[in-house]
Amino acid sequence: MTFEVDIGQRTRIVSIEGMGAAGPAGGEFRATIDGQTHEISVRPTDLGLSLVFADGRSIDVAVTETASGEWLVQLPHVDLTAVVDRRRRERSRPGAAAAAGVQRITAPMPGRVVRVLVKVGDLVEVRQPLVVIEAMKMENELGSPKAGTVKEVPASEGQSVEAGRLLVVVE
Amino acid sequence: MTPSSPKVLIANRGEIAVRVIRACRELGLGTVAIYSECDRASLHVRLADEAWPIGPSPAQDSYLRIDKIVAVARQAGAALVHPGYGFLAENAAFARACREAGLTFVGPTPEAIARMGSKTAARQAAIAAGVRVVPGTEVPLPADASEAVLAAEAVRIGFPLVVKAVSGGGGKGMRIVDGPADLVAAVRVARSEAKAAFGDAAVYLERRLVAPRHIEIQVLGDGHGTVVPFVERECSIQRRHQKVVEESPSLAIGDETRRAMAECAAKVATSVGYTNAGTIEFLVDRDERFYFLEMNTRLQVEHPVTELVTGVDLVVWQLRIALGERLTIARSQALAPRGHAIECRVYAEDPDRGFMPSPGLVRAIAVPGGPGVRDDRGVTAGFEVPVFYDSMISKLVVWSDTRRDAVRRLARALDEYRVLGVRTTLPFFRWLVEQPEFLEGRFDTTYLDRVLADRRGRPFRDPTPADETHVSVAVAVAAWLGAHRAAAGARTDEASAWRRAARREALQ
Repeated sequence: MTFEVDIGQRTRIVSIEGMGAAGPAGGEFRATIDGQTHEISVRPTDLGLSLVFADGRSIDVAVTETASGEWLVQLPHVDLTAVVDRRRRERSRPGAAAAAGVQRITAPMPGRVVRVLVKVGDLVEVRQPLVVIEAMKMENELGSPKAGTVKEVPASEGQSVEAGRLLVVVE
Repeated sequence: MTPSSPKVLIANRGEIAVRVIRACRELGLGTVAIYSECDRASLHVRLADEAWPIGPSPAQDSYLRIDKIVAVARQAGAALVHPGYGFLAENAAFARACREAGLTFVGPTPEAIARMGSKTAARQAAIAAGVRVVPGTEVPLPADASEAVLAAEAVRIGFPLVVKAVSGGGGKGMRIVDGPADLVAAVRVARSEAKAAFGDAAVYLERRLVAPRHIEIQVLGDGHGTVVPFVERECSIQRRHQKVVEESPSLAIGDETRRAMAECAAKVATSVGYTNAGTIEFLVDRDERFYFLEMNTRLQVEHPVTELVTGVDLVVWQLRIALGERLTIARSQALAPRGHAIECRVYAEDPDRGFMPSPGLVRAIAVPGGPGVRDDRGVTAGFEVPVFYDSMISKLVVWSDTRRDAVRRLARALDEYRVLGVRTTLPFFRWLVEQPEFLEGRFDTTYLDRVLADRRGRPFRDPTPADETHVSVAVAVAAWLGAHRAAAGARTDEASAWRRAARREALQ
């Protein structure tokens, strides 16, 4: 099977081939990435996967698929977010194309809207604060991802919001 | 525990409730937990002998409800109440309500809490005990103080200065003023913040020392007039006035200063008749001159570093003191640190996005172990870090013979630590333990905010090309396994559907 894996700005094509009895419980695999083929022994763990490469390197990775379809992958020194088959996902999502250029700022966590700093029609700069959300006793400013015009402000001060609730639309 | 042993109600949640339950167990005392709606499945509820609901999730409806907590304590037949830290731990009215209900509050008297809880009254107590304080106004600024009065006070104290809430803490109601032009606005903002956060708009002015260290002295006092001061804790690694890393001893304090600070802390505590655990905070300048800052009338978050270098269990002693025992800790043990201890506060916050809270479901945890590692934690796998409280996941504390070895052990323990499902501050700590300033102990309270501002949100650890290859392969393999698991599931469904159909036919 071949996957497109996005990490940061780069997309990698990774082919995975199960050898012999490889199955849901792991086994021996051949992975091809960036023109190089690696033979890897794989076992699922309580956290994610244990990978042992043919040269002996042992990599213990924690892998979680988040609600938004991204994967949070943790190595001992670094946490990374990866997306698998982004293009295929976006092609299959209805209305995705119409959203081009329009930025929808949603609540990154459940909390309370303490301040709404813009109104419909305002011109905003990149990173200009739009809304302040309070969660876990901390105030967090949400900035505009782009310069543009505020099109919608469904958020109101004092409102409790769930993660993912639409707060502001900037075009 | 025998049927007659007293019960302790723990008026708190999270890791500190777990910590207190452990101490009670070791003393053979019964444990009564309380919980809000979202904490029903919390670790402290599972570990306690008894657990009682006290209301909805927001703290003001549960962990801050004095009436409900006292009622539960009486209903459960608790004899003692341990407040932990935060919530009602420094609330004199709570200590008084416990006393009036015939419950023993595991902490100082309501009078001592009230006195030291007012920052200006605490400064006066320190001055009376002959301890140097940071120059400032000795009484709260009157609410109607004119601009001329403010300006005159400010000139007397000198710029830069800090406007602080009399009832404050945790950096709220606090404003730094670099020159006369900003003074009036800063006082106004600090007053409104203090009013909102503490219900008290009173503020005062204090000189801002240049690049001070924050160093504090733990004390224990018993009910028989004995006060024992402990070796200092170094708490200068702070983000927006919140401690992030604490250690003991401090690299900046010599033996002579250590003894002098301990002496001053003991004097202040004795002068107000202080009992149980408390901490006296000092600011220390570059010449090791120290100034009284304030007293915290409770157990501190960072108490484990003191425990690891002195071998004294502070929470056990809090309970023994509350039960009327005499302190039998030798001053030499309390003041002569053995080795070095460092604590990291691990929060569910995303360090790469300005430390934004990252609540959510903790899917799995791998906790470091091995020699010299202690992890005080109130969170388990399968637990949803609630949005209603502080997002602390754990306190990772390490001990070793020397500071250098303790830092190496910390780095090793951080590498073992994984928290799955939520972002945590672990990558930030891994970055910190490699910084030359941290390794060499060259830092003050301005260090962290300065370097964080300079980084402008750059990720704390840039992945190497090898990291990216490993992650890409791991994600692709996980996707492969997921696809095959789904296929196997579908086959099982088909097979059982076929069996069901066969059974149906056999019955006909």
